[in-house]
Amino acid sequence: MGFHFSNMKDRLAVAGMALAAVIALAAGPAAADSLLFDRGGITANERYEPTIWVDPDGCEHWVMDDGFEGYMTPHVSRQGIPVCRRGNVCGVMKSDQFFATNSHRINPQGKARLTEFFNETQAVSYIITGHTDSRASDAYNMRLSQRRANSVASLAKSAGARVADVRGYGERLPVADNTTHAGMAKNRRVEIICIR
Amino acid sequence: MKLIKILLSGATALSLAACDVTGEGGNGRVDTDKTVDYGQGNREKSLTQLVAGVWVDPTGCDHWIIDDGVEGYLSARLDKYGKPVCSGVAAPNTATGAYKGNQTINDPL
Repeated sequence: MGFHFSNMKDRLAVAGMALAAVIALAAGPAAADSLLFDRGGITANERYEPTIWVDPDGCEHWVMDDGFEGYMTPHVSRQGIPVCRRGNVCGVMKSDQFFATNSHRINPQGKARLTEFFNETQAVSYIITGHTDSRASDAYNMRLSQRRANSVASLAKSAGARVADVRGYGERLPVADNTTHAGMAKNRRVEIICIR
Repeated sequence: MKLIKILLSGATALSLAACDVTGEGGNGRVDTDKTVDYGQGNREKSLTQLVAGVWVDPTGCDHWIIDDGVEGYLSARLDKYGKPVCSGVAAPNTATGAYKGNQTINDPL
């Protein structure tokens, strides 16, 4: 639809855009003009300011309604990471309690706890991601975290749970400082996301 | 049900087009405010109140699907790492409203 600038703020914003366009295209002011005004039924720079809808997982989406059509798209950072108000990580396994150093084998006590967890949780499915601290090489840590996540996934499956995805992120997504012992211990983990 | 909906939205379109050529919805407010669920008669509400189901795409991955009666919305369901969630909650090419939301975070492990 056409332009309706009901307030000073909108007028100033458009004036600002016009100025920027003229500066950017100083060589061709006529081209700048065509960016801003209707030509042959094509509307440029109509105001489409979304609001935020929060999905049942707690993540934000941009949403707009321009009369008869509705539009929606996930709100993500420039790195592609969703903006969420809460997570659906429902379990963080401290690796030290489940695995020996450099091993992907879950100890018997850990197996019992995990089986109980999956039996109680009864989610639709699970996403399992392994993480390490930053000792050893990046490549080694990628392999170790994937092997540990795989171990948890196969236990989940034998407990009757559905596994949506299994991933190893190695040392690349730390949640704590890798220069302290406490931080490193926190980074050694397997995260379980529950999909409801 | 669908046919009635189509007929109704067609009627709404005609009546609004007749009375307001500068923009449907909210008698032209839609030109400056796209954050309201228009086309609901007097029951306009904020878009933040929409209630979603899950649509499973042909690959098997989940999307939030909302049909508020006039508009349809569809948006990808992503996990915290930005990857698609392919939960297996339903078969590909189906939508399910049997979604149980409002899960809380707990950390039993």
